[in-house]
Amino acid sequence: MMWSEKDRTELPQEEAEQSASAGSNPEAPIEETVESLHESLAKQEETIRAHVDRLKRLQAEFDNYRKRVDRELAAHEERIVDHVLLGLLPVFDNMQRAFANHSDGEEPTQFIDGMERIFAQFAELLKQHDVAPIDAVGEAFDPQFHEALLVVASDRPKNVVVEEFERGYRRRDRVLRPSKVKVSGGSDDDKKEIG
Amino acid sequence: MKEKIIGIDLGTTNSCVAVLEGGKPIVITNAEGERTTPSVVAFTDDGERLVGRLAKRQAVTNPDRTVASIKREMGTDHKIAITADGKTTEYTPEQISAMILQKMRSAAEEHLGGKVKKAVITVPAYFNDSQRQATKHAGEIAGLEVMRIINEPTAASLAYGLEKTSDQTILVYDLGGGTFDVSILEIGDGVFEVVATDGDTRLGGDDFDQRIIDWLADEFRRDTGIDLSKDSSALQRLKDAAEAAKKELSSRMETTINLPYITADASGPKHLERKLTRAKFEQMVGDALDRTISIVDSTLREAKKTADLIDQVVLVGGSTRIPRVQALISERIPGKINREINPDEVVAAGAAIQGGVLAGEVDEIVLLDVTPLTLSIETLGGVATPLIERNTTIPTEKTKTFTTAQDNQPAVEIHVVQGERKMATDDKSLGKFQLTGLPAAPRGVPQIDVTFNIDADGILHVTAKDKATEKTASITITESSRLSDAEIEQMKKEADEHAEEDKKRAEEIDVRNQADQMVYQVEKTLSDLGDKITQERRGEIEDHLRRLKEKLSSEAPLDDLRQAMQQLSASSQQLAREAYQETSGAPEGGDTTSSTSEAEADGEADDGDYIDAEYEEK
Repeated sequence: MMWSEKDRTELPQEEAEQSASAGSNPEAPIEETVESLHESLAKQEETIRAHVDRLKRLQAEFDNYRKRVDRELAAHEERIVDHVLLGLLPVFDNMQRAFANHSDGEEPTQFIDGMERIFAQFAELLKQHDVAPIDAVGEAFDPQFHEALLVVASDRPKNVVVEEFERGYRRRDRVLRPSKVKVSGGSDDDKKEIG
Repeated sequence: MKEKIIGIDLGTTNSCVAVLEGGKPIVITNAEGERTTPSVVAFTDDGERLVGRLAKRQAVTNPDRTVASIKREMGTDHKIAITADGKTTEYTPEQISAMILQKMRSAAEEHLGGKVKKAVITVPAYFNDSQRQATKHAGEIAGLEVMRIINEPTAASLAYGLEKTSDQTILVYDLGGGTFDVSILEIGDGVFEVVATDGDTRLGGDDFDQRIIDWLADEFRRDTGIDLSKDSSALQRLKDAAEAAKKELSSRMETTINLPYITADASGPKHLERKLTRAKFEQMVGDALDRTISIVDSTLREAKKTADLIDQVVLVGGSTRIPRVQALISERIPGKINREINPDEVVAAGAAIQGGVLAGEVDEIVLLDVTPLTLSIETLGGVATPLIERNTTIPTEKTKTFTTAQDNQPAVEIHVVQGERKMATDDKSLGKFQLTGLPAAPRGVPQIDVTFNIDADGILHVTAKDKATEKTASITITESSRLSDAEIEQMKKEADEHAEEDKKRAEEIDVRNQADQMVYQVEKTLSDLGDKITQERRGEIEDHLRRLKEKLSSEAPLDDLRQAMQQLSASSQQLAREAYQETSGAPEGGDTTSSTSEAEADGEADDGDYIDAEYEEK
């Protein structure tokens, strides 16, 4: 009962509102009101359709943009690799020269002299790219820069790097490769204290 | 913007976090710039906490306070006692896991630039209720509201969008660094059900590395009598080299392991150099891989399925990059493998998608199609000039400006083709129409805008418009999106097969078009300005001109043609210079494009900027 009553009381109100907003003449015949409502509905639908189309196109454009950026990024990466390799080629060339010019009878010092120059050239290349070795032996072990492979008892204080297996390098403030190191576990006496 | 829900793959050896952005899962890099984070937690002497790569690096110096593979303890009463700074604290597996999750969360917050409070976390399909509860609890300790715990194989399937298909059976093969899992799932109405799951908790990529290390050490001992396994420095180099070789062999048939100065004895330094072929590597790990396949078989039996009932196979874990793994699975279940997504990241990606669904983000994304094949028009010499490249998301619109290839050409024909081949005749013809009534003009002068507009339903509207007269003609093609998957595959395959010859042909046509353009240009300048040069030079140019025309009409080889072009170009340079001075600002460039009733147009289509600029001037 409640529902039907509500319907009955509200319906006329709604109708009144609609006709008031639909036309300037509240006395307008119902057909005209319906027609104008149809018109306004069609207009709304057209607006919605246009907006949905716009949304889809925008989204598709975003998607295509992302694909393009991905492609460009991949191409960019390739170019960076090219650039780095280009810097390495002169070093490679000179190594080949060294071997080509090396004969069995040659004084080994001459060959070593050449190799030292090539090494200096390589070192210069690394320097140009701000690559610097990481200090390890004698430093306190720091996992930021060092990777511990082994712990040994030693006279050095605990947690100090006692040997470097493989040198680490950093480039500006980033670690390219950590030093691979042997770390002091302190003397056996220290260990007893811990235990 | 909706609150983001991140997806975390909390792994035994490595963890990974991803988030949905614009409808696509994006893997988030951690503070060290890595896309996955080692699942290792450590406490230093002074109680500082390390998580991930740094914890792993210091593990041997601090074994009592470093925790790895905590996932194996989840859901147990196991306690980890850590003594730091003189105090002993007991941690539960949840608390340790929470520290890993906390790091993942921080990475996500850094990436998203705001607080992250919610997450979806994955667990193995075989996790029981208490293990799942423990994982959820770990998330809460890390300050994350765990919106859902989902199975790793389910997440991997979500990453491939398999939930959109109906009633399928999926096999997920997950071979990670240290664990192997196989799961069989069924989807119905977007709901995943794990039918069967099995695995080996101590089998993975690390074992394969170890086999290479052992082989290298054995070979070296046989050659030199030196035992490298006692030398921790050498062993570490062997380990790195073995892992690198394993990875290399996924894309190459052979690799060289080269470790100079690996050790030394009284006779001097020793170097290790060994070739490892893919076949040899496959032999080394053969029994382990066979074992994974026998687990696949037993899991199938448990699920009461036969291999032919599997609709999809999803590969997870870095070791599934090994070609032999893929081959073995293909032998069992042919043609069903999904492997496009990075197998280290696919679980996190799926978790991120689940997060996006729960956040309501996915509902907002309208699903859009892509064009499966490139859409082009035929231009001068029968070349297919692309307007919309394949895999472009639709709806989309693209306009390119073309021109005529002959003087006073009254009409152009627009022939729309679909496919990846360079020549229009090799592609699928979708339709053609003419734009007529072009005013008389020298070739290269008219500007005809061709617009391809694909609506969201895949219907292609092609319009050609002459800029001078504003005349337009158009065609609507509805079948462009109606190719079957098999047809699309076939066309792509053909394009790949013919890629080399197609490229050559397109290049040939390009050179011939350039030659033709050059002839036209020189003739024109000669008739305009020929009286301004000496008879002798004129004779020389005409001579070269005649020769190039002969080469063109006799379809001479490209090299001959290029040579004749070079000669003409050299002899006419002076003339051209004068011509440009006289007619500075004239629109004719060498690169006009064209589309005509005889399907003639210059192959070069990248002059859009040039045309645009000129258009604006008008």
